[in-house]
This record gives sequence, C-alpha cells and structure tokens, in this order.
Amino acid sequence: MNHLTSDELIDAMEGTLDATRRSHLDTCGECRLAMADVSVVLREARQVEVPEPSPLYWPHFSERVRAAIDADAPASAAWGRWLRWPVLAPLGALALLVLAFNLSVLEPTVAPETLNEGAGGDVAFVADGWGLVADMVGAIDWATARETGLIVEPGAADRAALELSPEEQRELTRLLRVELQRSQS
Amino acid sequence: MTSTAPGVPASDARDDAALVTASVAGSRDAFDAIVERHRRTVYQVCYRFANNHEDASDLSQEAFLRAWRGLHGFKSQSALSTWLYRIAVNVCLNRVSAKTLAVETIESADRFEDTRIEGAQAALLREERGAAVRKAIAGLPKKQRATLILRAYHELSHQQIADILGSSVGAVKANFFHALANLKRILDSRP
Repeated sequence: MNHLTSDELIDAMEGTLDATRRSHLDTCGECRLAMADVSVVLREARQVEVPEPSPLYWPHFSERVRAAIDADAPASAAWGRWLRWPVLAPLGALALLVLAFNLSVLEPTVAPETLNEGAGGDVAFVADGWGLVADMVGAIDWATARETGLIVEPGAADRAALELSPEEQRELTRLLRVELQRSQS
Repeated sequence: MTSTAPGVPASDARDDAALVTASVAGSRDAFDAIVERHRRTVYQVCYRFANNHEDASDLSQEAFLRAWRGLHGFKSQSALSTWLYRIAVNVCLNRVSAKTLAVETIESADRFEDTRIEGAQAALLREERGAAVRKAIAGLPKKQRATLILRAYHELSHQQIADILGSSVGAVKANFFHALANLKRILDSRP
C-alpha cells in the first residue's frame, strides 16, 4: 500500500486520519517514524513563547496606532486635493482666456459695426484682441505655467489655444466674438 | 457562516461586532477598544514572523492601520479576530520578504523574561533553544511559516488558515507537514 502523504501524516498526528489509511500506519514503520518526527518537533515548537514586552509597552503601542491613524487622515485629504488639481488648473486657465477675450471685446477702440463683418473683416481688431490675450496669457511660458500649478496637459484645450496658428487665432477670436455678441443681445 | 476564533467566547464575538459597527460609524474609542483587545494576538503573529520586537511592533501597527482603513469592508460572517489574522499575515508576508529583518539576540530577547525563578544556567539553555526555534521558524518559506504560526500557536483550523492564505485545506496540511519537517532538519543541523 502507498505511504501516507504529507497531509495524511498531519491527519494521523491530529487523530483525524480515516480508518483505511490508519491501518497502513499500523503496519508501516516508515510512516510511523515520519509522524513521530513531526509530532516531536511540533511539541518543542509549541513550548517556545514570544517574549512578553514590558507592560508599559501596550499603552505605548495603542498610542502609536492612534497617531498613525491621525497621520493617515490628513494624508488622504491632501491626496484628494492633489487629485482635484489636474481638473481645476485647466479650468482656471480656460477661465483666464475667456476673461481676456471679454476685456478685449469691451475695449473702446472696437467699433460696434465691425462685429458683424465676419472672420476677415477687421484684421487689426483681431490682432489687437489676440494681443491682449497674449499679454495676459501668452507671456507665461510652458515651464512657468507648470511650475506655478497651471498645469496644462498635452491635448488639453488650453494648450491648443496657446499654440494656435495666426489663422486659427483669428477664427477663435471671431467665434468668441459672435458668441459674446449673441449673449449680449 | 459565523465563526469564532478559538479562545474567543461568543460574547466577545458579539462585542467585537458592536465595536466594529461603532468604529465604522467613526468612533475612535471603539477602534481603540478593538486594538486593546487584539493587539497582543496580532503582535504575537508578527513577532513569530519577524523574530524581533521592533519589527513585530511596526508590523502590528501597520496591521491595525490597515484594519482601520478597511473596516467598512469587513464582513461580519467571519470573526473579527480571523479578519485581523488575515491582515497581519498579509502585512507580514509582504513586509518580511521585502527587507532583511533583524534577528533579536538572546540578550535583547530575554530582557522581558524574569528568570529569577529558575537556575540561571537552565534558563539560559532554555532560552537559547527557544531562540534557535524562533530563528528557524523565521527562516521557513513564507507560506510554511504562516501555516505553522497560525496552526501551532494560534490554533486556527486548517479551513481558517486556507481562507486566510487563499489556498486549499490539503495545501495547508501539506505546508504544515513540510514546515515541521524543515524545522526539524534545521534544528538537527545546529552544532
């Protein structure tokens, strides 16, 4: 008959081995020796206790756990704040752009009749409007924007606005102007 | 299935459930009570893994911190103590393998022992053998170590250990056997 497997030897040691396999144990000296070996070492291991810390240690330990939990809470809150930055920074930059356009459209140098002339109607006005935007936003280089927290990730609308070609700038200006005019009417 | 860890009376288990409920609701006092009730057991599991006080203390603290973070996910179908065993064992399995833990010397380990009641020489021999056993256990492969600690010292059932380690009962028994066989081999090879 096959020798007992390792899990059967544990069952034998703990007295839960089924009767069929127990009959093998009764006749097999090798399996009995293996079971006796692990029983002896288990008995010795069980006698070894963990050194008991000083009684003063336990209140100190509880205090450490409390402090760790306290320290953990602000860290989670800070993580939450950082999590919001990537959302808030581009929105802030976009708001700055819109504000700049508002200011440029309300400039007194702009004649009301030019507002209806379409994209190519008043290049000077477009240039002036974009100049104001450039004064307010364009002067901030990429590294500075990143350092100051106005992180505009590649692909974001803000970055696209900063990198528009002159034609695209004119078109964006025209669209915003039309939109402003509609909202004012 | 509601199970109670060995040595934990049913009334204590009910108390644990109430403390968990209060802790989840935000009561730090309730969680303090959980820590106070289970800190010694968690520390002992960690000490068996790490074999020194400082690491055992750090591991225990980490286990309770994780318990606090995960308390809302605790399912009351199992005993709180079993859940804490699971966390402690996972912390130990992750951390003990990630760094080389200091092995406490006999001199530092016995600072907690009161040996006045025994002859100094007998106590020294006993402690030396105990330190050798603890060191041998700390040197076992991780799953064998976890199985031996939970079965031999905390008397968890094979099924509970299987649940904690995510393995089968058969694998737990096999690990237990190999842990004991390896322990015997290591101890026999000592000069």
